[in-house]
Amino acid sequence: MSENSPDSSGKIGYVVLGATKAEGGTRTVSFRLGGESDLPFIGMNTGQGSIPLVAFEICDDPEYWSPIVTSYTGDLSNDAREWAGVAEKQYGADIIRLYLTSTKRRGFDNFSSITTVMEEVLSGTGLPLVVEGSNEPAIDSDVFQRCGEAGEGERLLLGTAEAGRYRSVAAAALAYHHSVLAQSPIDINLAKQLNILLREIGVKADHIMIDPYTGTLGYGFEYSYSVMERIRSAALKGDTDLAMPMITSATDSLSVKEVREADPAALEDIAVEWEFYAALSSAIAGSSVVCVRHPKTVPLLKSAFRELWAGKMPGEA
Amino acid sequence: MALKALDIYKLLPKKNCKECGDPTCLTFAMKLASGKGDLEKCPYLDPGAKNILGASTRPPIQLVKIGVGERRFAVGEEFVLFRHEKTFYHPPGIMFEVSDLWSGKEIEAVTRRVGSEHYVRVGTDLTFSGVAIRNESGDPDQFAEAVGVVEATGTHVPEVLMAHDPAVQEAGLKKCGNFRPLIYSATIDSYKPLCALAKKFGSPLVVSAKDLLSLGELTKLCNAEGINDLLLDLSFPSLREYIPAATEVRQKSILRSAPELGYPVFLDTTRYPMQDAALILGIDKYAGVIVTRALSPASSVAALTLRQNIYTDPQKPIQMNPGIYPVGNPGKESPVLLTVNFSLTYFTVQGYLESSRVPCYMFIVDTEGLSVLTAVAAGKLNEALVRDSIKKFDLEHLVSHRRLIIPGYASPLSGKIEEETGWKVLVGPRDAAEIGDYLAKEWKS
Repeated sequence: MSENSPDSSGKIGYVVLGATKAEGGTRTVSFRLGGESDLPFIGMNTGQGSIPLVAFEICDDPEYWSPIVTSYTGDLSNDAREWAGVAEKQYGADIIRLYLTSTKRRGFDNFSSITTVMEEVLSGTGLPLVVEGSNEPAIDSDVFQRCGEAGEGERLLLGTAEAGRYRSVAAAALAYHHSVLAQSPIDINLAKQLNILLREIGVKADHIMIDPYTGTLGYGFEYSYSVMERIRSAALKGDTDLAMPMITSATDSLSVKEVREADPAALEDIAVEWEFYAALSSAIAGSSVVCVRHPKTVPLLKSAFRELWAGKMPGEA
Repeated sequence: MALKALDIYKLLPKKNCKECGDPTCLTFAMKLASGKGDLEKCPYLDPGAKNILGASTRPPIQLVKIGVGERRFAVGEEFVLFRHEKTFYHPPGIMFEVSDLWSGKEIEAVTRRVGSEHYVRVGTDLTFSGVAIRNESGDPDQFAEAVGVVEATGTHVPEVLMAHDPAVQEAGLKKCGNFRPLIYSATIDSYKPLCALAKKFGSPLVVSAKDLLSLGELTKLCNAEGINDLLLDLSFPSLREYIPAATEVRQKSILRSAPELGYPVFLDTTRYPMQDAALILGIDKYAGVIVTRALSPASSVAALTLRQNIYTDPQKPIQMNPGIYPVGNPGKESPVLLTVNFSLTYFTVQGYLESSRVPCYMFIVDTEGLSVLTAVAAGKLNEALVRDSIKKFDLEHLVSHRRLIIPGYASPLSGKIEEETGWKVLVGPRDAAEIGDYLAKEWKS
């Protein structure tokens, strides 16, 4: 085959998110991601790989959240436990991604509140969790320690590890057997380097997910799309330092000008389409988990994946 | 498989007549071998040689032109599987569907929308590409009438004539055949009369069959009828089949391992339950012409933006002109924020500055389109550039203060810039989204 066609020597490795009772946790479902040995949405019917999953993003302090979402959810977004439950049962998400935005407040030091929020969300939903810790390096260690401890046994995905700022999150993941979300700034070499750094301090390859960083539609999405394709191709050619499943989130989708300044009557539709176009394209470029913030984007993505996926569904042998 | 220049040369007339524009038949052969020549330029080629050379000397994916005039577009002539390997050249035409069962008013409204609707993003005008007129009545006169309504708008947008019955197709072509509409579509049963129509009107033709193998057979049959401007209909019953099929077509055609599949792809998204999903697939994965029902305002902007993103040349970052750009109505005491001339950086920062409602100046320096991170790493963004740019754009007369906000990723340069310029440097956030907060907290004029 030519250099254009990935040869079949490589395969995306597996990462497990969530743990059911039988697996030592309390989740009602767990997912094994990865296993693909071809380009995205190709070779599905050979039993390899898993259907892309949809993570719904919530937070514990909605003051730091898009008003497009909070005006849709109303009071619900003030209660992370309830919100997680609704995201599971009404929106139909596969995974909940919790951002601890409360830690953004200046001088935040109420670390016991993190344990409380974690317990609430774990009791509010049976879905596997991705947890985003602090935005402030000075408190990373305390925040991740609390997240990791509160979720012990649940096989969380803990984020975000970056080059130069990965030790606290990795330490918490190692201590409590969680996986690490490794984010690099739209650069295949930096993605690889970070995975190597993580492995050197003991995080196993099957406990790492790659976040190549997703610029939203119209704001650098093409760079992210191509980096995802390059990472997938490199993995299929046998580069094991890049053969982890990817998780992506075009987090700026709801704050760009096209969405923010849309005609109020069309604003919700534009917000949903902006997320949908970027998220589905990310899956086409190789992302295993796509994350969104607008409740209405979730069922759209789920239907699209069901329409495109010809392989096994989660839970099928 | 591709022929070598010498194999091609053997089939040429060897007259060295220069009428093709090349000095000798051998140089013409070399051009053909590299996919850059046009066989039609040789006036003395015998038909047998033409048939052999036809499939192997053209570009791996045939360039097909649709429509005439300002709005015409071309698809095909692509060379890579992934945009990062080089670039994708010809963005897919997105054609809005109308039906000959609709009223004239409805047909006219959609056509006029395609004619005038446009969005400006990053300095480029984005538009939909044309109208697809579908024959649902089964009646040639009614179809011709619908085509007539589209023509009468005077928008001159490219058209797809969607009628399987050659008699109906001909009725439509009589109305618009001079404008190079795309004919949809020929099957194994109808290819002969439809090829004859394509030949008569000089129109490109879509071929439809149940799988790639049959499509390849059909393109060969059409070639034998003298038709080379073809598109492959990959609108198979399940959308699941699209990505594997489109990828196989692209792979095999760029490798020239199946020249009979070396044509642009046609996708009719209206037949799938999730039209937007199908449209996204087509844009991301290799479609040349996509038919959709008229899109909602929300889908319109998203689809055109996605198409622009995927077809941006990754080798050439889009650049802004360096200079001073006011945001709001800044005055002598307003903050000055330095950033690079990578257009994406510019538009992102500008968006957040506008929403911060703090009037200010954006001070754009020339990093040849590199982002902040890469410009700092490569040394393109440095204290000398900042010093020279302050002079060049006369920043000292624009504001009365001497404070410069630089991007968070440029913080290693803060000391050097202060030394070199005498301005006080404030290090802004790394993430543009935090600029509003930053200005609110840190900027006191």
